[in-house]
Amino acid sequence: MHLLEVENLTKRFGGLTAVNNVSFHIDEGEIVGLIGPNGAGKTTLFNLITGFLKADSGTVKLRGENILGLAPHKIVNKGLARTFQVVRPFRHLPTIANVLVALQSPRGSDKIEWIKTPERKALELLEDVGLSEMMMEPAEILAHGDLKRLEIARALGTEPDLLLLDEPFAGLNPIETDLLTKSLQTIHLDGHTMVIVEHKLRALMKLAKRVLVLHYGEKIAEGSPEEIAKHKKVIEVYMGKGK
Amino acid sequence: MVTIYLRRAYRSFALHILDIPSRLMALLLIVLFLAIPGILPANPLMSYLLSVLITASVMAIFASSWDLLVGRCGQISLGHSIFYGVGAYTTALLFRSYGLPSWVGILIGVLIAAAISLPIGFPALRVKGPYLALVTLALPLIATSIVFALKDITGGENGLPIPVEGRFFQLTNIHNLRIAEYYLTFLLLLVSAIIIHKIANSRTGIVFVSILDDEMASKACGINVTRYKLMAFAISATFAGLAGGVNVHLLLSASHGDFSLTLSFFAVIMAVLGGMGTIYGAIVGSYIIYFLDMYFLRMVVDVPDVWHVLIFIVPVVLLVIKWPRGIARFVTDELEDLSEERPLEERGKRIWKKYRRKKKSANEG
Amino acid sequence: MVEQLLILGVVASAVYALLSLGFTLSFGIARIVNMAHGSFFMLGAYFYFYYGARGFGKLDVFPSLILAAITVAIIGAVFYRLAIHSVMGDDVALIVVTIGGALVFQQAVTIIFGTGHVTINPLMEGAIHISNVAVTYSKILAITISLSLFACISIFISKTKMGRAMKALSQDREAAMLMGINTEALATLTVAIAGAMGAVAGTLIPASTSQMADPFMWTPPLTIAFAVVILGGLGSIKGTLVGALILGFSETAVGLYFPEGGFLKTAVALGVMVTVLLIRPRGLFGKRIELEE
Repeated sequence: MHLLEVENLTKRFGGLTAVNNVSFHIDEGEIVGLIGPNGAGKTTLFNLITGFLKADSGTVKLRGENILGLAPHKIVNKGLARTFQVVRPFRHLPTIANVLVALQSPRGSDKIEWIKTPERKALELLEDVGLSEMMMEPAEILAHGDLKRLEIARALGTEPDLLLLDEPFAGLNPIETDLLTKSLQTIHLDGHTMVIVEHKLRALMKLAKRVLVLHYGEKIAEGSPEEIAKHKKVIEVYMGKGK
Repeated sequence: MVTIYLRRAYRSFALHILDIPSRLMALLLIVLFLAIPGILPANPLMSYLLSVLITASVMAIFASSWDLLVGRCGQISLGHSIFYGVGAYTTALLFRSYGLPSWVGILIGVLIAAAISLPIGFPALRVKGPYLALVTLALPLIATSIVFALKDITGGENGLPIPVEGRFFQLTNIHNLRIAEYYLTFLLLLVSAIIIHKIANSRTGIVFVSILDDEMASKACGINVTRYKLMAFAISATFAGLAGGVNVHLLLSASHGDFSLTLSFFAVIMAVLGGMGTIYGAIVGSYIIYFLDMYFLRMVVDVPDVWHVLIFIVPVVLLVIKWPRGIARFVTDELEDLSEERPLEERGKRIWKKYRRKKKSANEG
Repeated sequence: MVEQLLILGVVASAVYALLSLGFTLSFGIARIVNMAHGSFFMLGAYFYFYYGARGFGKLDVFPSLILAAITVAIIGAVFYRLAIHSVMGDDVALIVVTIGGALVFQQAVTIIFGTGHVTINPLMEGAIHISNVAVTYSKILAITISLSLFACISIFISKTKMGRAMKALSQDREAAMLMGINTEALATLTVAIAGAMGAVAGTLIPASTSQMADPFMWTPPLTIAFAVVILGGLGSIKGTLVGALILGFSETAVGLYFPEGGFLKTAVALGVMVTVLLIRPRGLFGKRIELEE
């Protein structure tokens, strides 16, 4: 059984079809990339899968269980977490408290080993993304790169089976990109399956073994990074029809 | 010119004299408060002063409960007086009809207030911001209309007076009565404030702030936002009901004013004045407002009641415009900044003082 | 009974449409949720009373009405510049400030006129009879004035340059600024217009139906304006009209069948509002959809 199975997912906004009959599946242990030009519908797709938007038609199944139509927090508690393209930290809370929120969720608190306190686990998660030094700082003073890592730590707090990352590398300099790549690899080895939306193709191709391409809401290609790089339609979409 | 000297004097004062950790400060204040009745001579003016402080203490419970809901959890409620009124009328009715001891009446009032918070909160909290404000705004209006409609039970315009036996203490000497009531209400305030403060700074309180900051992100963390909102609503309703019930046995009556929009807005005034979100700010705000209302504007300068509300609201509105974070917070922020010799323009003033203290001790240790 | 429902319902709907149009404009264009909008209603009634009964040597109906509208428009503009302008970004602060303003108006009126009712004379004496029912000229006048003003403002918005600028402002503030539109001035004007319309509405209802005004009468109109705008849909003028019709009639019906239940009217408006927000947040004709969930 696939970890995530999406079939014929469609979403219209008035006259605009943002996501058009998209189908794909994600298996346990994969890192799958999701690319496409701006406006292709990637974030909309995320919003649909995670319950933040109502779909017009289609199905979404997590481990065979239909999750379409469930409230977002319920979906998270079934093991599907996401980060946001534009970071959404809890500004008034210290960094560690941001993660603590996720550890207060039913699933998050459930999966804390009995020997640890939530604060201990939150600190460990911060260490995993390299933010432990900032743990007492209010989230509002963190730099952009740190905030992106905080998003990930927070999502990890819910112990997801599947992690959807929306442009985790956006706005990061090369050093930060490198660090994040390493963090994500570690997270992957810890047993988390990931779907990553990204524009920074080089960073993405290092991580993803399989890539989906979206264009105007439709899936136009699917394959390994090498296949996608050579795929005629993909090149056309990104580069335009050349001579 | 003068301001420069003033500022310098203030600086040195703050750095050398006021550099006291907040917990010690709070303890000193509590000791001071406990000592007040001992210091005051027994004459009618002092009795009145005590009653000002008594009212302020009870209303501080009301205001801090509002602050928990609005300042910590971000759910703008303008109808808080509905719970106060429910607490008040319940105990008044029970005392008049069945002669139940004050504590029983108040307890039942509190339970009912908490109980009705759920069916009210469930639909109301589904909407946000101004819509929530409007829905909760209408609550006191609806409640007042019901009070007038059921005037046989509620006494309508005249309210429900209760006999002298309804007092907490059957003391004939007014001054001694006030002293006893003073300690009682102060104790209640202390206990309530500690409970609310503990909740606000607990892990649940952290979730409240996450809802305040970004509801969507909170949901993305797996939090059942609706449940937490209802929790905040119910907790604050409980304490509001407590305040209402207690006041009935102090003032010896419940009236339709207990459901009024003005009363609701008083909670806003007190909390905003003191600093929304801090909990203790609402307490400070309450003392300032009631001291102003009952003492300054009545004894020192005689101003007709109607003007009182006007006099409060204008500065509060101005305050919100100039210092959105309230007076008490402004003062403590200033003191903290001075003590760390930080440039005053630096942003990043925060609610979570506790963590900053921890960090300070971690750095020094 | 049915004829009464019809007549009163039409009066209510027409006047509410005018009142709510002001609200939708300030909400959509000036981007403010003005909790003091109902105060314009109340102040309009009181100024009308003052100009007619006491000030300026007892002015006639129409001069009083116009003067009242102008006065409230000025108050609205000043209120906007002084209070609202500085707290624009902050949701909570805005609500606190505007409610504070509303209470200030309430208390000011209480101080000057007392807490009881003040009598508002009808617009015009006499009535015509349509199939056994006496329809007062006041009511007809109220309907006419409301609908004409409503039409005027609608045409102003859609046809004139300034009106189109306002529309642009409501859709994209930054873009409007970049186009050289003086957003602040326009927003202030919007609030002034909202004030004027609210004041007219506040005069017409008492003058044609209840014949009285009190300092606390600002809350029902606020609730109604909110409910109408939510029901009709933010930003839609057509929606405001339809919403006003629905709410005007439901309110009148409730008022007629449950004469003792003053609170029911507010409850009905609230119920409508909450229901719409839960089921179809953009209302009947609203254009913008809230993306969050």
